Amino acid sequence: MNAERTTERSLEHPIIWIAVIAGSLGSILLLKAVAWLAFPLILAVVLYYLVQPLLQRLQLAGVTTAQALGIFLGAAIILTLIFSLTILPSMLSSLSNFQDQIPTYWDRLQGVIRDNLLALEGRFAFAKNANLADSLQEQLNLFLAGAGKEYVGDVALFLLHWLPSLLLVPFLTFFFLRDGTAFHRLVLRAVPNAFFEKTLLLFDRMDQQMRAYFRGMFGLTMLDTVSLGLGLWFLGRGAGIFGFWDAMALGLICAVFAWVPYIGSGLGGLLAVATVAVKAPQSSGLMLAVVVLFLGVRLLDEFLYTPITVGRALRMHPLITVMMIFSGGMLGGVYGLLLAMPLLGIFTVLGQMFAEVWFDPRLRARYHARGMLEKKLASKDLGI
Amino acid sequence: MDPLLKIVSGVPIFRECTRVELEALKLHLHERHFLAGEIVFDEGEDGEGMYVVIRGKLRANRKGLLSKKVLGVIQPGESFGEMALLGSGPRMATVVAEEDTTVLAMFRPELVALAQARPRLGYKIAMGVAFVLELRLRRVAEGHSPEPSST
Repeated sequence: MNAERTTERSLEHPIIWIAVIAGSLGSILLLKAVAWLAFPLILAVVLYYLVQPLLQRLQLAGVTTAQALGIFLGAAIILTLIFSLTILPSMLSSLSNFQDQIPTYWDRLQGVIRDNLLALEGRFAFAKNANLADSLQEQLNLFLAGAGKEYVGDVALFLLHWLPSLLLVPFLTFFFLRDGTAFHRLVLRAVPNAFFEKTLLLFDRMDQQMRAYFRGMFGLTMLDTVSLGLGLWFLGRGAGIFGFWDAMALGLICAVFAWVPYIGSGLGGLLAVATVAVKAPQSSGLMLAVVVLFLGVRLLDEFLYTPITVGRALRMHPLITVMMIFSGGMLGGVYGLLLAMPLLGIFTVLGQMFAEVWFDPRLRARYHARGMLEKKLASKDLGI
Repeated sequence: MDPLLKIVSGVPIFRECTRVELEALKLHLHERHFLAGEIVFDEGEDGEGMYVVIRGKLRANRKGLLSKKVLGVIQPGESFGEMALLGSGPRMATVVAEEDTTVLAMFRPELVALAQARPRLGYKIAMGVAFVLELRLRRVAEGHSPEPSST
């Protein structure tokens, strides 16, 4: 039988696709259950893929792996110290100012929403009948009075819960970088001889795909940050809304939101519009300009940035993408929304790996032949 | 020197490598054990790596019209499957362990990554492969049968 044709057929096996989707959703549940470990682990893997090319460059310059790791760690510690002594104090001071301004911002945002809803009520009868402005005001007041306080407590607890876990990230990244190759070999020892070459090849493919995805996502985030940050700064400078670094920080937050496909970009856009609404409540033209900026960056994302960074490696059918994101969100909340697509990508490659190895009749025959040889050897030893 | 590396350093492909380079190479060597009668790789399947025999003995066969044609026996210290380092073309023979055998496997994408990180080592390995293939071409041109390791 032609092995290539068998492989093609096995990739279309419905059981594999069901297993891929079930595996992705199951992993979301599992990761949610052990989120304290999974989150730093994922961050460490991302850092590993980002730092590895730097180490490789150092190796190209003639240093050993251990020396390259030492140089990188030294540089990272120095940069962290510089950051802590120079930028961090001003960031903390800005954050403290922002915290003081929260009630003012909140009032302004409510005011903008209320004005717009009242304008809507003036124009459309259904809006007036629904009493949109008052009912929303009531909901917001309820949120502030009760649930708001509760959420603030939750946020504090959340931060306390996550800080020790996040400290694991540099620790895990260091060991991935130092012992990654040895661990890879250890895992491969468990692979039977018959499947060894194919498994090595597929592991390599998965490694390449993950590397391309994480590096691509990093590049995409940087491009989005710069585009949005520059755009927001340019638009807001007339009204004195944003300083350069404020605009860049907002751009970065929106770019990180965009990691959640479809929903994230919308949330980022809403955040930017809300910020403009709070800072300059009277400039509706500016809010419109921010919306246009977001739509423009979305188009750039779709047709320019994504093809040159992430590429089409993880592009799935839109229906599967939307279903996975919503299922992920339903099962795992924010983690599910963030992890649904990367996990689906990983499980798709794993499914392909399994299908290519397991559904190859020649490889299976070799695997069974080895089993028979072992059995024969054991029988001979026992004198059976 | 590590006994495994001593054997590897005797393989023509790696003959120009220094001790430090062989140490770097060691991280990408996979030790595999085959039982007598077990197939290492199969004629026609895509080749992804080469092997160096550490212990034991292997036999290389090619399919003939009526029966298998034995190309020869591969002994400790010899390598086979080097063609796979150049590309994932089909294997040209089936290699079977004649007795319980230990080999070191080297996988093409790992060697490529290593060569990218250490271009000097990559150059030496590429020249080593060229040297081995040149020897085999000469043997064929002179009317000898190719060595069993040209799989």
